[in-house]
Amino acid sequence: MRYAYYPGCASQVITKEYSTTTKKVCQILGIGLEEMKDANCCGAGLMTDYNYELSLALNARIFAQAEKMSLDIITICSTCFMVMSRANRDLKEKPELLEKINNVLKKAGLRYSGNVRVKHFLFALIEDYGLKKLKKMVKKPLKDMKVAPYYGCHILRPSYAEGFDDPEKPSSLERLIEALGADVTHNEGKTKCCGFQIVLVTQTTAVDMIGKRLKEAKDSGAQCIVSPCPLCHISLDSYQGEAEKRTHQKLGVPVLHLSQLVGLALGISANELEFSRHLVSPEAVIMRFSD
Amino acid sequence: MGSSGYEPFLQAYDVNISAGTTVLDALHKIKDEQDGTLSFRRSCRSAICGSCAVKINGTPKLACKTQVIPEFEKHSTVIIESLSSLPVIKDLVVDFDAFWHKIHKIEPYLNPKEDDKDLKDKDGWWIIKKEDALKTDDASNCIACGCCYSSCNTMDADREFLGPAALTKAWRFIGDIREGKTRRLSKISDEHGIWSCSRCIECTEVCPKDVRPLTAIENLRSEAIKKGITDNAGVRHVEAMVDSVRKTGKLDEAAMTFRTLGFMRSIGMIPLGLKMELHGKMPLPSLFGTIEGIDEVKKIYDEIEKENLSLHAINREREEK
Repeated sequence: MRYAYYPGCASQVITKEYSTTTKKVCQILGIGLEEMKDANCCGAGLMTDYNYELSLALNARIFAQAEKMSLDIITICSTCFMVMSRANRDLKEKPELLEKINNVLKKAGLRYSGNVRVKHFLFALIEDYGLKKLKKMVKKPLKDMKVAPYYGCHILRPSYAEGFDDPEKPSSLERLIEALGADVTHNEGKTKCCGFQIVLVTQTTAVDMIGKRLKEAKDSGAQCIVSPCPLCHISLDSYQGEAEKRTHQKLGVPVLHLSQLVGLALGISANELEFSRHLVSPEAVIMRFSD
Repeated sequence: MGSSGYEPFLQAYDVNISAGTTVLDALHKIKDEQDGTLSFRRSCRSAICGSCAVKINGTPKLACKTQVIPEFEKHSTVIIESLSSLPVIKDLVVDFDAFWHKIHKIEPYLNPKEDDKDLKDKDGWWIIKKEDALKTDDASNCIACGCCYSSCNTMDADREFLGPAALTKAWRFIGDIREGKTRRLSKISDEHGIWSCSRCIECTEVCPKDVRPLTAIENLRSEAIKKGITDNAGVRHVEAMVDSVRKTGKLDEAAMTFRTLGFMRSIGMIPLGLKMELHGKMPLPSLFGTIEGIDEVKKIYDEIEKENLSLHAINREREEK
């Protein structure tokens, strides 16, 4: 198993811990990651608002690089996954559009033939690696840990792109949590929005959404949330204090990155999983699983 | 608690069904055979009229287009509820007033150009090329069923939001080459308009007619930028990202925050910024660096903007400022 690794912009700076811990997990599992150091930003959807073809061309540059490496792309960001798979689908389905974009890429000495697949880390773990195999690698089953699965939007929708799970009834996070030995809670808002895309534009609306998501997870009896997206993590972790101010209540829900939950079960220490970088400390939840 | 003073509740019915029975068939069966008081809207039974939208196992769908057995096989139950974000009148019937009010707000009719010789033939008929018609084709297919409105995450947090259906209707006219001079685009660029969408993509996912409202909203946003309706946080957010990628190849969160909020509102973000800094999360611009192949990225920008002269002009103007 070898992939062209596209961490996305957020996990190179703000949520750096998501990328470093993904690398640690993959090293233990024997999943090869070749980081795409020269890749550009996918545009996070905002580029589509500006100009659809510019967004396509910038994504095609990323695909052309992966094609040169003869590898499929793996990303740990749900928004990058959504943007790239939407662009990839459009380019693959419309040959005349691909030709038009290739004429733009030609000026930069690049070409994309339409032979790359984009995957999210969660799906690679389940589809390519396999949960049976992962289960065998678990050193410290997360016994009695109550985890709220939180998908958010972009890992599931739109399903017409290169989706993997059923947006109406997703199960991949639940299956993963169970494979790690933890308990899944029934999180009512698991496929709802974290508001990240508008947190700087209409902050009160976004913070209201964040408050709802945290409250739903808390009401499900969870000790923590697991998130496959760094942007959802920023919303739910970094803005949790703002949500507490708006809702006038203490929420105190720690949010774990997908890689941190897996890493914990694989026996990686809390220190190495960089939980100290979170604003809401998960210490109380994770300490008994860490040396 | 609803306006009637009763708490909403679920009621169970056992219904005999066969292969192909739709949820609407089942509702009719209940009303005919078990409970004549059960209220729901319906008309055409062929996914055209948009009357029978309800939530089925949590997802807004047309009752007439959804079969019972596949729903049961997937969820082991069939829970039918009224649409969200609209007040319940009785059972599955909701009050669509807010929905229609927002459709009216965008003035849902064409305001054609006075006279456009290039677009009309000698007899005065509009000549519309296929590619122009296709731009608004998806949006024209909307049947106003309210599925997108019910699933919209921004609507759930902000009831003033115009919402996916009204905005799609706006694109139906703004994207029409016959559209004349209207204030439609600047009106929907205000608060609770196009820039409030959180891109949850529920609208596009649930639409029973494959209208893709998110694409309509993206088209409206591009059009607003092209037409220079740019004095709002939504556009500043996009422009900050576009410029950041142009200069470094990457997205610079610090610049995004500062440019979107402006100086005064950025000051309000300092406490959160400091808290993030304590955990090593302050997005300092210097940490980003520039990708090696930035020249390639610049060439891509140049090539696209050359094709889109209006974008080119806007960027020039901005840089001169």
